[in-house]
Amino acid sequence: MATVQVERRELTLAEKLYIPEVVRGLVVTTRQMLKNAFGKKDVATIQYPEVKKVYPDRFRGRHRLTTREDGTVRCVACMLCSTACPAKCIHIVAGDRGGADVEKYPISFEIDLLVCVYCGFCEEACPCDAIRMDSGRHPLPSFSRDKQRIHKVQLLEDGVRSIARQGGEGT
Amino acid sequence: MPTMTIDGQEITVDRGTTVLQAATQLGIDIPTFCYHPGLTIVANCRMCLVDTNKSPKPLPACHATAMDGMEVWTQNEKVQKVRKSVLEFILVNHPVDCPICDQAGECVLQDHYFNFSAQPSRLFHRKQHKPKAKVLGPDIMLDAERCILCTRCVRFCDEIAKTPQLTVVNRGEHSEITTFPGEELDNPYAINVVDICPVGALTSRDFRFQTRVWFLQTGRSVCPECSKGCTIRVDTFEGVPRRYKPAHNPQVNDWWMCDTGRLSYSDYLDNRMEGPTTTVDGKRRVADTESAVRGAVEILRKEGAGKVVVVVSPWFTNEDAYLTARLLKGPLSGAAVYMGGRPDGVQDDILIEADKNPNRRGVAEIFNAVGVSYAPLSALSTAGKTTALIFGDNHGLSDAQRDLLGGLDHRIVVGAFMTPLWRQATVFLPARIHWEKDGSFTNVDGVVQRLERVVKAAATAKSDGWYSMKMGYALGGGYRFDTPGAVFDALCHDVPGFAGMSYSRLGDHGMVLGSGEPPLVPSPDVATDGPALEAAP
Repeated sequence: MATVQVERRELTLAEKLYIPEVVRGLVVTTRQMLKNAFGKKDVATIQYPEVKKVYPDRFRGRHRLTTREDGTVRCVACMLCSTACPAKCIHIVAGDRGGADVEKYPISFEIDLLVCVYCGFCEEACPCDAIRMDSGRHPLPSFSRDKQRIHKVQLLEDGVRSIARQGGEGT
Repeated sequence: MPTMTIDGQEITVDRGTTVLQAATQLGIDIPTFCYHPGLTIVANCRMCLVDTNKSPKPLPACHATAMDGMEVWTQNEKVQKVRKSVLEFILVNHPVDCPICDQAGECVLQDHYFNFSAQPSRLFHRKQHKPKAKVLGPDIMLDAERCILCTRCVRFCDEIAKTPQLTVVNRGEHSEITTFPGEELDNPYAINVVDICPVGALTSRDFRFQTRVWFLQTGRSVCPECSKGCTIRVDTFEGVPRRYKPAHNPQVNDWWMCDTGRLSYSDYLDNRMEGPTTTVDGKRRVADTESAVRGAVEILRKEGAGKVVVVVSPWFTNEDAYLTARLLKGPLSGAAVYMGGRPDGVQDDILIEADKNPNRRGVAEIFNAVGVSYAPLSALSTAGKTTALIFGDNHGLSDAQRDLLGGLDHRIVVGAFMTPLWRQATVFLPARIHWEKDGSFTNVDGVVQRLERVVKAAATAKSDGWYSMKMGYALGGGYRFDTPGAVFDALCHDVPGFAGMSYSRLGDHGMVLGSGEPPLVPSPDVATDGPALEAAP
């Protein structure tokens, strides 16, 4: 991208004198105050938590892991999410499930929510619809950083069953 | 001497050279699966097919011999089409489970697919299913679906390990690799088949599912498990070594290494002692490096060299050995020196040597050149001695020897692990192990090879040579080096066998003792009897 040169406007004498501009600002504030006190309400502040803002449809929220029909975690520990993750916040330890059809599963699956940038790359990288970022829930505040490292159990709490087909055509 | 043309470049090669070898000499890359320079040629994967003027059909470059007047095209339309078809054929029954395949990222099939095919599957029939996660031996798993039947593993067992344990059974798309009835893939070199498997069919049970290979960081090193000193790569993930892989070195190990060496990395991961300790008023205390070294120096100064027993180790790097030799020739001359090391073990005529220490030859060479004489540790005698300075903690000491050492007043131990020696130590100086230090080893055949620092040691752990240097310096030896490279330069200057070597000249394959050209201008002697530059550290 080329550099954009911005022409700065010369200040007028009134602006340079400073006081008239302060008065102008006070006029705006006072007008808004009087309008809200006596006339039509025009307040930007929301009275949280009694009133909550409606999020846009594309708000992602916290991650969750989906399950198979038998209730086991769908994740096969391929680590493509942690590979795609620009913040390097996903830590997976893979293990052998012992089954004939699916060999690999995550022994532990940790996401450091303080490091996560909520970009959604993990969800896009996932080849088997195992991780989703559609819970629409904020990460909750906590008193320690450790609590913000969420584990497989917490990720599965919100989890839904996914019936997306695993494996490619003709398998 | 046939003269041929490959992609328009003319080359004259020796009789019997294959087209593939000629192309490699010209720097032209021909994709292969079944060809391995260390094994016989079978030409069964057909990936290296090239177009020639000697045959209407494309010829396998790995098998076709160079002929006079031969013209070869490795990039034309016909070859490209052939490669695409061969890959499509190989992938007919391949499960394409790259996301859960351990080989993904270092898979030849993946690389070739993206380079030469990159077309979506045109097939819609059900794939042929074969055994998955089949245990072939104590260290090897087979996924027969991923196998492309290049037979590299079969040939390796037949030709290199000399233990025919693998074979191909059944025909057509039912073909699969398996062990002979009643056999297991358990030869001492078995895990090499995992390295040479171009796909993820054979996987190491030790490394299986540990991490994805693209997360690994790697450095060159030397396997310390026997005096053969196979050239290796140490692959680390999150700062912890996860596997050894042999690196090609025609002077030492070709492409191979033994399983004992390969799996030995895990022996060095636990039980590390990384904190120096001293004894104050008869009590063992945690110390910092400086005061621990000072404590050791005070003991040595008080007792005098004549009352010291020194146990040196064939686990020294050449640099450690040189600095220790300087200590023993200088301030500690007069001490009784014993050479320790691990006891001998099994050997064979492929790679495994009986001497289970990595650098006995180099230490001997350096000590002899500097003029330090030593006796084997079995001759240990502590009569008239009060102090032991012990380098290394893997000497396999007998109880009697341990009692002898325990009877002395002081034991200064330079070690890395929690061993009985650590408990006996009056001063403990934590040492670095082979993958934590820069340096070089000399193997049993005299090949000097570089070790790279792959893992960062704890700040308190120093190499054995560093302690020798500091102690020698404090005792008035007056030599000091800043880097292992500077030590190596001084060592090459002083030890005739190492003449003409330097870290850059060692390169990837190392140099044999005595093969270096002496330098044109002799380097100044950096490190002899100068005055002490500063007070004891």
